[in-house]
Amino acid sequence: MTKQRRLSRRAFLKTAAAVGVASAAGLQYARWARASGPVGASQHRWAMVIDQAKCTGCGYCTLACRAHNDVSPDIAWNRVIPAGSVGGQPVFVPRPCMHCEHAPCVEVCMVGASYYRADGIVMMDYDKCIGCRYCEVACPYGARAFNWEEFTGPNPAVPQWGQPEIERRPRGVPEKCSFCSHRIDRGLALGLTPGVDPEATPACVVACPAKARVFGDLNDPESEVSRLLAEHPHYRLREDLGTAPRVYYLPAREEAKR
Amino acid sequence: MAQTARPRRLAPFWLWVGALGAVMAAAAVGGVIVLWKGLVVTNLNDLVPWGLWITLDLSSIALSAGAFLLCAAVYLLGLKRYQPVARTATFIGLIGYSMAMLSLFMDIGQPFRFWKALIFWNPHSVMWEVMMCIMCYFTVLVFEMMPIVAQAGWFKGRWPRLAGWMSGVHHYAPFLALVGLGLSSLHQSSLGAVYGVLKARPIWYKPDLSVLFILSAGAAGMSLTVLASMLAGRLTSKARVDDRLLERIAFVVGWVLVGYLYFRFWDAFAMTYTYWPGRNEGLGILTNGQLAFNFWIGEILLGALVPAVLLLVPRFRRQPGLRMLALALVVGGVVAYRWDINLVGQLIMLTYLQNEIVARYTTYFPALIEWVVAAGIAAYGVLAFSLGVRFLNIVDHGQPAEAEIPVPVPAFSPAAGD
Repeated sequence: MTKQRRLSRRAFLKTAAAVGVASAAGLQYARWARASGPVGASQHRWAMVIDQAKCTGCGYCTLACRAHNDVSPDIAWNRVIPAGSVGGQPVFVPRPCMHCEHAPCVEVCMVGASYYRADGIVMMDYDKCIGCRYCEVACPYGARAFNWEEFTGPNPAVPQWGQPEIERRPRGVPEKCSFCSHRIDRGLALGLTPGVDPEATPACVVACPAKARVFGDLNDPESEVSRLLAEHPHYRLREDLGTAPRVYYLPAREEAKR
Repeated sequence: MAQTARPRRLAPFWLWVGALGAVMAAAAVGGVIVLWKGLVVTNLNDLVPWGLWITLDLSSIALSAGAFLLCAAVYLLGLKRYQPVARTATFIGLIGYSMAMLSLFMDIGQPFRFWKALIFWNPHSVMWEVMMCIMCYFTVLVFEMMPIVAQAGWFKGRWPRLAGWMSGVHHYAPFLALVGLGLSSLHQSSLGAVYGVLKARPIWYKPDLSVLFILSAGAAGMSLTVLASMLAGRLTSKARVDDRLLERIAFVVGWVLVGYLYFRFWDAFAMTYTYWPGRNEGLGILTNGQLAFNFWIGEILLGALVPAVLLLVPRFRRQPGLRMLALALVVGGVVAYRWDINLVGQLIMLTYLQNEIVARYTTYFPALIEWVVAAGIAAYGVLAFSLGVRFLNIVDHGQPAEAEIPVPVPAFSPAAGD
């Protein structure tokens, strides 16, 4: 009788422990799988093509970005960097976040505050971030800027270059370009096409007066980005690192003068 | 005026405590300013986001490595006679890891979100693994400290039942030593891998850093334990040291330094073979640039070569003064190594433009507030050790090793075999 009871209790505890361990492992596995890959599935694969033959280095993209994303004047999500000249014309490298397919910042983030969206956009969860700056050290493109102090007061780029569309980031977290994911998401919800309809397209692309920036879906063979990449020679920054950026450049060329 | 002899004898200790307390108070003011105004008050910037506090964090952890090594020697290799030294090392380890956590708390941009690191996991991140190991190992150290605290007379007198329970933890010492060995082997080397996995920084991007980090930590951790014991033995009657034990450990440190120098040499030498944009330029910063003095004098000559000779030649090692000098040099050398490695990858920025190889060099020197806060965290460590020597008999080689409680796990001890 006593023996029976003891055995059954032990069996119960064993089963309970096994179930507990298995479910914990299962939950953990689901989490790990998510940390390594994109969340969910998407039919889109967003990319940007920047034509260096057209870019004049005016910097409108940087200002529009600052206004729409409410970025401090000390920080540029999108820098325009002079890079020599071709055929006597100055050449620039506009540099947003590359939204790498294998992003070092996502791989190193200990809390998973940097993550891949299903459509390929590399996102920051500003509420999760603890501010260790490992991502900033890891990024080969210098795409991240840390908020060393809080951005308070009016944004000098507003209202001339647009209205803020997202919340300001707190002090103590790094921030970076999001391909204006909020514009993409809102546009898709309204039935618009990112890259075609300006309301659904990143602010820098809309603001570019030289039409040097093109945005669109690589999964759509008819999109302008797909067409440009099929027709023109192109490159990406530091391809040797294997990060597989989603920002493509059409190099400046002698014959294509503006 | 005419004080009695008793308070006068106590005075130096309390003066010492007061001086350390003053440094800590200054650092507390600095810490409040950092929390209030943000990291903008430091000299950190987007090109050099990791500076003095990260060096302090890495150094504190490296200097705590004596704990896992000596506990493993005592409880896993059965070198029982080193048990009193392992006690000291365990206490230093506990202090070191708490110092590391303090400096991280100052360094991260969102210090009050530190708990999120425990809840949100990205196991792909080396930093995640390091953080998990540090949390678990800190817990191990707390358990390893319990029997030590329970032995203190004032503690036993006040809370006898709690002391009894805490002494019981000693039965698990071999298991704690085993877990500690595993956790420490992981994170002491992974701290090097935190840098070593970053492809964007060629001077870091190699497996060597993990090996160099754990070797230098082993040498420096044991050095600090021996040095602190010898200092305590000379400065206070509360500490009793067995110099033969300390001399043997110093000898081992000498050989670890030889191993470290061997790997360090090949690490640096191999870099000159393979031209990889940014790597040779980084080596140039170390050997010929702004970190050159630190590298040649701080790390190599005084940090490793000189102490290796002093610790391996018996004539020098047997002189306590020279031995202590050598051990202090090793401690300084590991701090110099952590400083140099952390900075060298950040001082050089590789370009992502097509037609350039090296983009730019930058500089970093900590702001006054960074120095003050770092000094305060170091003062906390020294103060905690001083109090431990006085009130917990942390440095006491006189008592028979574990006379009251026999270790019940004979399998681990060759002496108790069949």
